[in-house]
Amino acid sequence: MGDDDSKKGLVSGLKSVLYGMAGHDMTRYALKTRGSMEHLFILITMGDLLGIPILPPYYSLRLLPYVVPQISTWKRRMLREKDLTDALA
Amino acid sequence: MCGVLLTFEDRFIGKEASVSSLYFLAFAVIAIILGYGWYARSISRSVILPDPKRATPATMYMDGVDFTPANRHVLFGYQFKSIAALGPIIGPIVAVQWGWLPAVLWVIFGTLFLGWVQDYSSIMLSVREDGQTFGALSFRLISPRARTILVMFIYFYLLLLMAAFGKIVGFDLMTNPAVPLGVLLVIAIGLLAGQMTYKWKLDILLTTLITVVLAFAGIWAGTLPAVKSFMESLGGGAQSPLFFGNVTWAQFMWSLVVLVICYLGAVLPIWRWAQPINYVAFWIVFLGIAAGTLGLLIWHPSIPASFPAFTNWSGNLTSAAAAAGVDKSFTSLGPLWPILFVTIACGAISGWHSLVSSSGTARQLENESDGLFVGAGAMFLEMFLAILSILTAVVGIGAVQGFGKYADLIGSGKAGGVFALGLAEMMHHVGIPVSFGVSFGAVFLTLMALTIMYLVVRFMRVASAEFLGDSIPFFRNASFGSIVALILSAFLIYTGFWARIWILFGGANQLMASMALLLASVWLMARGKNYLWAFIPAIFMFITTVAALLWTAFAVFRQVATTPNLAVNIMVGNIAAGIIAILLVLAALILVWDGMKALRKLKTGALAEAKA
Repeated sequence: MGDDDSKKGLVSGLKSVLYGMAGHDMTRYALKTRGSMEHLFILITMGDLLGIPILPPYYSLRLLPYVVPQISTWKRRMLREKDLTDALA
Repeated sequence: MCGVLLTFEDRFIGKEASVSSLYFLAFAVIAIILGYGWYARSISRSVILPDPKRATPATMYMDGVDFTPANRHVLFGYQFKSIAALGPIIGPIVAVQWGWLPAVLWVIFGTLFLGWVQDYSSIMLSVREDGQTFGALSFRLISPRARTILVMFIYFYLLLLMAAFGKIVGFDLMTNPAVPLGVLLVIAIGLLAGQMTYKWKLDILLTTLITVVLAFAGIWAGTLPAVKSFMESLGGGAQSPLFFGNVTWAQFMWSLVVLVICYLGAVLPIWRWAQPINYVAFWIVFLGIAAGTLGLLIWHPSIPASFPAFTNWSGNLTSAAAAAGVDKSFTSLGPLWPILFVTIACGAISGWHSLVSSSGTARQLENESDGLFVGAGAMFLEMFLAILSILTAVVGIGAVQGFGKYADLIGSGKAGGVFALGLAEMMHHVGIPVSFGVSFGAVFLTLMALTIMYLVVRFMRVASAEFLGDSIPFFRNASFGSIVALILSAFLIYTGFWARIWILFGGANQLMASMALLLASVWLMARGKNYLWAFIPAIFMFITTVAALLWTAFAVFRQVATTPNLAVNIMVGNIAAGIIAILLVLAALILVWDGMKALRKLKTGALAEAKA
């Protein structure tokens, strides 16, 4: 039983290492693209978030419910000090 | 004692060498047991004190983009892939010009005392400082101008990387007529992989299977006689005519193709070009390394007696090659110290790792106690790759075609060819024909270089937009910034002397390493911890690298001053290389001055605190 568990652990560890080499970068790029899209959404709805009526409010108000859950992580990204070396990885 | 030395002499250096190549791997395993299992662990336990309960930036500031916790095994694979490119392959092969023994010793001891220290401390420094990158950390811990100097190091490093890799690919690998079709087809298949994944939304396993099989078929198609003769006719035949200076038409044409590929990679969306091509290329590289390692384990030949363990202190192959019947003139690489220590950067210690570790890995570390496994573990695995590269030269070529073949290829500026042929000989023992294996090895190296090169151009254009975008708005344009980066790269590719460019590339890299170690020392000292394990390597790397850069500047200026009728392109390239070397030294001196001031300030502060 113990041997089986350690074998399973080894196989899953090797699988994860292989995924880390082959596909993890792709996932990170996908997440970064999503992050950029979120920035755009927040910008579109910024007026309504602040309660300032910027035309046309109808579409941005419809987007608002989708944007609200992202606000906390967006704030972290926006307020964090950025550096050129951020672009390296 | 004398007996031991004589036995060593007989077995390793003398004429009766009968040492199995597996001893190299055994030395590497011992280094891992001692280095990772004992030294690194004890430093981690006694100095860094990783706390699995402390929240890491990945968990504390999780934003689903940059700060995202990842499993330690996934992160290990990511870190290894990010640090291992052409550096740990080409550097050790070139360094074998001093003999295989100095190269092996530097790879093993460099990793043991410097390499893992830098990678691990970079990760932990960034983790403990809220996931800040090295730019921000150097600004805060050393001085405001240290950040500017770091960016300068990075820019020159990347420019020299473009020149060194561009020359290997355009001048060496692609001029082999069995290679270009394979490379172009793998790129096309990579684009297909992108289409299948992102547009057609096909299963990733199916996409992988189809594209990897097609990629292998493409590489094989490149070896067909009709294709080879067509490619040869494009490049002007076996003896391609000189186009300008000492650059042949084939070298000019293929390096131009490489630059066009880099341009596309820099301006097209990442999902369309860079990412899927890198994905397909990864499998080619991974399967190649696996087949080569397996072949070596099955074959495990002895180190050939004819392959010198040590040639001479200046890394000049002339006399050793003449003894092996190779009638060629070789340029001396330079004195073993300091030049060997920058010729092999990745594989022993490389500043690039500190950037990857702080900007990427540290922000994904789920648990502080994973840091050692990820940072030091990936570095020790890279050491294995460097040892395998040395073996491609020493036994892959040496045991089959003798030392003369290695000298002949190196004398013709074909360090990439050494790896391709050596790997082919190893893969032959798992049933892969040598003729296919050589093309495969060359495509493998070309892809490894290209996948880095277009990302480098991408970064260079971002850097130029950041620094020059306000004063020269053209730099905000992606194409303009990329073309400027490519013109600068082309200038060095067509004018630079490869061995000197490689040493400068290693020098810029190692200066970043000494800066990373200095930063780690300052940070450790600020927290009242033992900092000598990082500070002594920082001093060693700094002195060695500055000496290497000064020697290189002297060598290139001397060549310009003393060689009559030097081709104009070489003269211009030498002057440019000398100026780059001096600029790097000046920047390094400013940096160390600021670093020492920061250390002094910390020491005085600690003393005052103790008195109070």
